[in-house]
Amino acid sequence: MTIRLRTRAHVFWRCLFLQAAWNRRGMQNLGFAYAIEPALDALYQDPARREEALTRHLGFFNCHPYMAAAILGGAIHHEERVAAGEEPGAAPLSYKATLQGPLAAVGDGFFWTALRPFFGAMAALGALLAGWPAVVAAVVLYNLIHFSLRAALFRAGYQQGDAVVGLIAWLALPRMAERLRAAGVALCGAAAAAVALRAGGPALGSEAVAALVVAAAAATGYLALARGAALLPAAYLAAAIGTIAAAVTGFDGRP
Amino acid sequence: MGYLLLGIVAGLAAVERKGFLQAMLSRPIALAPLTGLALGDLAGGLAVAAPLELLWLGAVNLGAALPINEALGTVAIAGGAVLAGQALGTGVTPATAVLALLAGAPLALLGRRADRLVEGANERLALFAEEALRRHHPHAAVRLNLAGLAMPFALAAALAPAGAWVAAELAVRVLRAAPALDGPLRIGWWAFCGLACAAGAQALRARRAGAIFGVATAAALLIGLGLRATP
Repeated sequence: MTIRLRTRAHVFWRCLFLQAAWNRRGMQNLGFAYAIEPALDALYQDPARREEALTRHLGFFNCHPYMAAAILGGAIHHEERVAAGEEPGAAPLSYKATLQGPLAAVGDGFFWTALRPFFGAMAALGALLAGWPAVVAAVVLYNLIHFSLRAALFRAGYQQGDAVVGLIAWLALPRMAERLRAAGVALCGAAAAAVALRAGGPALGSEAVAALVVAAAAATGYLALARGAALLPAAYLAAAIGTIAAAVTGFDGRP
Repeated sequence: MGYLLLGIVAGLAAVERKGFLQAMLSRPIALAPLTGLALGDLAGGLAVAAPLELLWLGAVNLGAALPINEALGTVAIAGGAVLAGQALGTGVTPATAVLALLAGAPLALLGRRADRLVEGANERLALFAEEALRRHHPHAAVRLNLAGLAMPFALAAALAPAGAWVAAELAVRVLRAAPALDGPLRIGWWAFCGLACAAGAQALRARRAGAIFGVATAAALLIGLGLRATP
């Protein structure tokens, strides 16, 4: 028996709630069981077998929430075979246990520390240069990529089962992540320049002091943070030093 | 009414941030303008969005590690700056923004503690689910997952408006008592913005990030100045 497209779409919708009840004991266990429930309802008519299947998916699970879509699709792939008597009940669990760690590492490294910060920096620069339409464009573009990948991973997991690993390797996400990080840093630099020009006013005359303050804060701030300074105290210190220096010198950068 | 809307925005952002979707809508760059919009000042929210996004670019939820709660901090700061601007009749200025930042940012740390509370409550939900399954109520068991969205919503909806109120009160009182501070605070805001850009570059942990950041800043400055000089 195979799961209908409509049921798979229902499972995919529910996987957006994967972390709704994230906890330190089972992590995403409750979310995973919630997501896969419509597929198990369709596969197992016998309540005892359905409960048995649901119980096995209530065990520990933790993965990157986007990459988990591949595991969810693959778990349905294996559950179809378990329901047909082609695989033992342990097969979906073994699939989950094998893939959750590696896919979590790939997802964290690509989505959380590269793609999203890259789009965050792009949206920030866009906000400084073009206002809210740039923010909307960046968020929409991020989500086009994110949802396309999430849906593709779910479909590939369902269709290919264990072979989904090949698709993920083909995507070369770690290499792409490194490039996105470097590009994100460049966007932060461009944002610093945009802030300096904005602070300096339209003519960069006597207001240039504000632009110099931005540049100095960016340079010393980067060095301090790279040497392990704590973020929030550094932010307070930057604001305090700027304010006090301007109050003492009476030079607040206004014409 | 404004505080009620702030609570709803903060609650929805808390849900989107971890429990549902995670589509960047609870990041400061989207949330600050939304907060401004809820209070009738989109531009005011947008004015603080970029530096807050860059400041907290590295606030990501990796595995079991809990980052600071940048969404809660953002609503408090953006809400506080907008409310202060409205009370003073100036709109969001660098001075109101920096004072709201100083008062509202600690809420991001408090938010992390709230997140720990939520994790503890969710642990109990998971136990209830196992118990429900033992009693042969499978549908009830898995639906407990959605109950996990309630507590983050409620905590954020309660904390964010309180943080925004504190931030707005501080900004209004300081600027009414000492209007001469407006100029120096303006410089303080720009200094903070410079640091926020550096924080964003540093958080990305790219190879040769320092060199890329320096070259990109200098190149963009030259381009910007060149464009300004062009008639």
